[in-house]
Amino acid sequence: MHAPLTKVLIANRGEIAVRIIRACREMGVKTVAVYSECDRTALHVRYADEAYAIGPNPPRDSYLRIDKLVDVARQSGADAVHPGYGFLAENADFARACRDAHVTFIGPSPEAIDLMGSKTAARAVAVAAGVPVVPGMREPIATEVADSDVAAMAAEVGFPILIKAVSGGGGKGMRTVTDPADLPGALRAARSEASSSFGDGSVYIERRIQKPRHIEIQLLGDHDGTVLPFVERECSIQRRHQKVVEESPSMVVTPAIRRQLASAAAAVAKRVGYTNAGTIEFLCDDTGAFFFLEMNTRLQVEHPITELVTLTDLVHWQIRIARGERLDLDPEALLTPQGHAIECRIYAEDPDRDFMPSPGRVSALRAPAGPGIRRDDGGAAAGVEVPIYYDPLIAKLAAWGADRPMSLARMTRALHEYDVRGISTTIPFFLWLLADADFQAGRFDTTFIDTALALRNGRPFLEVPEASEFSAAAAVALQVYTRTQTPASSVPAAPASLWQQRARVDGLR
Amino acid sequence: MAAPSEMPMELQVNVNGRVRTVRIEPRDGLFRVTVDGETRLIDAAAIDDTTFSLVGIDHGHRSEEVGLGEIGQSGELAVHLSGGVVVARVSSGPGRFGRGAGGTPQTAGRQQVVAPMPGKVVKVLVKEGDSVRVRQGLVVVEAMKMENELRSPKDGRVARVLVDEGTLVESGRPLVEVE
Repeated sequence: MHAPLTKVLIANRGEIAVRIIRACREMGVKTVAVYSECDRTALHVRYADEAYAIGPNPPRDSYLRIDKLVDVARQSGADAVHPGYGFLAENADFARACRDAHVTFIGPSPEAIDLMGSKTAARAVAVAAGVPVVPGMREPIATEVADSDVAAMAAEVGFPILIKAVSGGGGKGMRTVTDPADLPGALRAARSEASSSFGDGSVYIERRIQKPRHIEIQLLGDHDGTVLPFVERECSIQRRHQKVVEESPSMVVTPAIRRQLASAAAAVAKRVGYTNAGTIEFLCDDTGAFFFLEMNTRLQVEHPITELVTLTDLVHWQIRIARGERLDLDPEALLTPQGHAIECRIYAEDPDRDFMPSPGRVSALRAPAGPGIRRDDGGAAAGVEVPIYYDPLIAKLAAWGADRPMSLARMTRALHEYDVRGISTTIPFFLWLLADADFQAGRFDTTFIDTALALRNGRPFLEVPEASEFSAAAAVALQVYTRTQTPASSVPAAPASLWQQRARVDGLR
Repeated sequence: MAAPSEMPMELQVNVNGRVRTVRIEPRDGLFRVTVDGETRLIDAAAIDDTTFSLVGIDHGHRSEEVGLGEIGQSGELAVHLSGGVVVARVSSGPGRFGRGAGGTPQTAGRQQVVAPMPGKVVKVLVKEGDSVRVRQGLVVVEAMKMENELRSPKDGRVARVLVDEGTLVESGRPLVEVE
């Protein structure tokens, strides 16, 4: 019943589109890219076998246009669609439109997306599977429910609470409320963000677990009913509910807890006949108790760290499952981490200006390499413009080591090698984090970053020692000197350095 | 006598808000560089037009790579060092960059809050004449799918509101004035 799967349309952009194209190439599968106006020169377009324009820059006019994407699938003869993450990855209508057009959707069924995409319905599934859930409401709150009624519901759940978008993800449409007086403002903000990001303004309320750690289980399910869970990822390092650093395995998960989490995750997935890649998120408190949070019915941003510690390729498996192959991985090996991996999400944001987006032209870029380093990016290079229309993710940088101190040391070394100019990035923030004693010791929960940022009170992330100001002043003066002197006495040009050659090669990948 | 092209050069460079006097003297393929009276002999190589490798010949042969990135059209330079980034500008001398001292933000007098990135004003939280506290939210600008609250740089009064909800703004566009 499964098609052979020979040509995949990638309904996405940026690093994830490039990452999927790479997997397809490794498997001898043809690729079709789509692009908005500003993405004409993006790496995913240059790297794919075929490319089709799908409209103006705003996502709703291009990457979110189901009709155009299905047309391109037909026109190009693609027999499958990979949605990546974000955009239409968790949109059941898109999965259904693909099915109606006889194109394989590389992901779960539309029914599973629908069910698990509603946070309240997903909680009911977890309860039915015998998995504990965070205390909270069973039903969504429609947009027209009055503030006073919501206040009563919140009081019943018990403060502090979290307001969350029913169709949400990525921290959008989510607000913490500790003081009941702040509820109306938080509710307005959550509904407005939910409605603009997901087209659905309904929200629900959950109790805020104290000192929670975010632990999640990656899984794969095939069409024969096999569901295999993987070693956990810890994603407690979040800024305003957005993951910024992930690691695997977690320092606080013992082999016994790992087995409990894995079997709980598999029970939820089996309950809905889940197929392809998905992730079950849990909150763990400081006693080791865990609660089902939600399911992400797609490939996660942070999937590379799981690949690094389990020696698997999740995108290969997504494609193999979609074409009907059975999972023949060793379940024990998937729960036995090989070393430790960490990922930093490098964003075009200025950490010294409250993480304001910093779009613009990259004037120079040297990317890190060397032992234990994996970098996934969408082609960020000197001269490339970071567009304002999409997530400001420049690259995902992952480091692997035989143990956690080694992977952290490699990450620190790689962040020092990373030279991005012309825009601000979150690299200085990560260097501060990796040097923090509490982070190194594993003493943190999901409130760690927001608390630490408040305590820093705007102090810059990297304070340059005064001794370095000599070099800064000298270099600025030498540049002026070089530009105003005749070549005979200007600063000698070095032969193109290896790093520069490497950067050029990277830029042309 | 040195050829005109080998003449030393002196200029003022503002680094992290402090004006430094820098003198460059070419000497046998190296440079004597003096910053505020401290002199070092430096072997400088241009990796490209904006990246310099400096080796401090009489400073323990310390090797440092310095990258210069222009910040928009402001004339300011982001100087990338191994320890981080500092902001610099040529404040006087034979430079091709803008003149005038850069420096640290001031909190006296009237202050403009400007859009730090291109985006859309989705909410104006204050009106002219309102009293505001430092870090109180003034305007919410949406960019890259996230809402960003721009806050007051000081305690004071809202002198002028220069945008409406729904206005599309470029980076650097004044939004609110606080006095």
